[in-house]
Amino acid sequence: MIAALAQSARKYGFLLSQLISRDFKVKYKRSALGMLWSLLYPVLMMCVMAVVFRGVFRFSAPGVSYLAYLMTGLTLFNYFSEASNLAMSSVVANFSLINKVYLPKYVFPLEKCLFVGINFLLTLLPLYAVILLTGTGLCWQHLLLPFDYLCLLGFTLGMGFLLSAAAVFLRDLFYIYGIVLTVWTYLTPIIYDIRMIESGTLAALMKRNPLYHYILFARTIVLFHETPAPRQFLVCALSALCVLLGGALLFRAKQDRFIYYV
Amino acid sequence: MEYDGTVMVEADGLSMRFNLGVEKSFSLKQWFVELGGARRKKQPPFEALRNVSFTVRRGEVVGLVGANGAGKSTLLKLVAGVMKPSEGSVRCGGSVCPMIELGAGFDPQLSARENIYLNGAIMGYSRAFLDSRFDDIVAFAELWDFLEVPVQNYSSGMVARLAFSIATQTEPEILIVDEILSVGDAAFQAKSEEKMLSLMRGGTTVLFVSHSVEQIRKLCSRALWLEHGVLREDGDCETVCAHYLAASGL
Repeated sequence: MIAALAQSARKYGFLLSQLISRDFKVKYKRSALGMLWSLLYPVLMMCVMAVVFRGVFRFSAPGVSYLAYLMTGLTLFNYFSEASNLAMSSVVANFSLINKVYLPKYVFPLEKCLFVGINFLLTLLPLYAVILLTGTGLCWQHLLLPFDYLCLLGFTLGMGFLLSAAAVFLRDLFYIYGIVLTVWTYLTPIIYDIRMIESGTLAALMKRNPLYHYILFARTIVLFHETPAPRQFLVCALSALCVLLGGALLFRAKQDRFIYYV
Repeated sequence: MEYDGTVMVEADGLSMRFNLGVEKSFSLKQWFVELGGARRKKQPPFEALRNVSFTVRRGEVVGLVGANGAGKSTLLKLVAGVMKPSEGSVRCGGSVCPMIELGAGFDPQLSARENIYLNGAIMGYSRAFLDSRFDDIVAFAELWDFLEVPVQNYSSGMVARLAFSIATQTEPEILIVDEILSVGDAAFQAKSEEKMLSLMRGGTTVLFVSHSVEQIRKLCSRALWLEHGVLREDGDCETVCAHYLAASGL
């Protein structure tokens, strides 16, 4: 199994790298600022949200900089929403290829998650700019963050497998998932603090959201300079593994039927 | 040519069914309509292929003839592994190079140079291989002056030339060709046919679909005639083509 995976990675690694570089070239083609947009966009988003939610609605994050609080949540959540959305349409969008050449179909959602992942690494620059400019400061625990990012990648990839397979059979998903993502944004404590939620059941429900835990993990380190509790490590790793495994198995079970729904 | 009798393609009882009505148009709306009691008329599945068996040995050049919708392309896709058969099995005894629709992997926004690598990766070539063949690909397609131009600005003939040139770089053991010899202008057609012939003379096993019976007669030693998904005749190219033409009233 592992040997087969390694062989497949060697064989299709070049294809993956070509698809990723294609996506980058096409994304920034004919835009004057090009790659700079990857850095500017999150900052502009953060500014808009900070003006609306801190300026107008008087949201705050007690004891820490609201900007850093907002930016940590936004950076992680934006990765998930963009990657899962692109992964969802990746199989359907590549039907013309799937129909003509034999390619392992998992390549498409995987490629989208990696492509947005590289973009995500770029958005860490504005995040660290905010961390430094707001005086939030650094600590050695930042070295633990890649673990968090890997969990986020695993979770997103699992969702990408699930969604891209489901979208083949149910094209309505493209619209439904847009709504789901909006609801998900507001149910994840990105712009507010979970302690603002008064209803105990709602708060408990919100803690079932794996994204909440990935963001909490990052915030524990970035904002409070603390090492996350062992339980937090466990929750993040397990939720990511379960979703990744579930998504991959479902994708594998259904992939031979994709061709009938072209 | 070597005829050592090695079986290169073995198709055994291949059947392929598509549930055209049901599978193509499922949507949530339809699901709700059906919840309300409106039953969709059940369409019988469309049988693109029914119990097709044949064997191809090393070095054979086999042409597939038949009317539109007879199942020729479906058969090629099953052999190429693009689809899995509903019933039966197909085994290949070597590397397969499917030239089913060339240029399917092109990105119109990228230049020819970028597309050579992208499309090459899709065809399963390695970077080193593409580096070494890059000049040959461009030279064969005669596109030196347009290397950095996005493919969307190419004429369709130029796209086809580039695609053909990339696809024919390997010497695969089994070559699957679907209607690609009619690309480009007259000069390029002659050149591409010459290239195909040289591949075939090299001992490659070929499965070949064309609507031009003349082309099949010229290139193939054996022919399969498909009619409504059933293998009607399998045998010597001249005989099968003559029967097929007679049945089509030509």
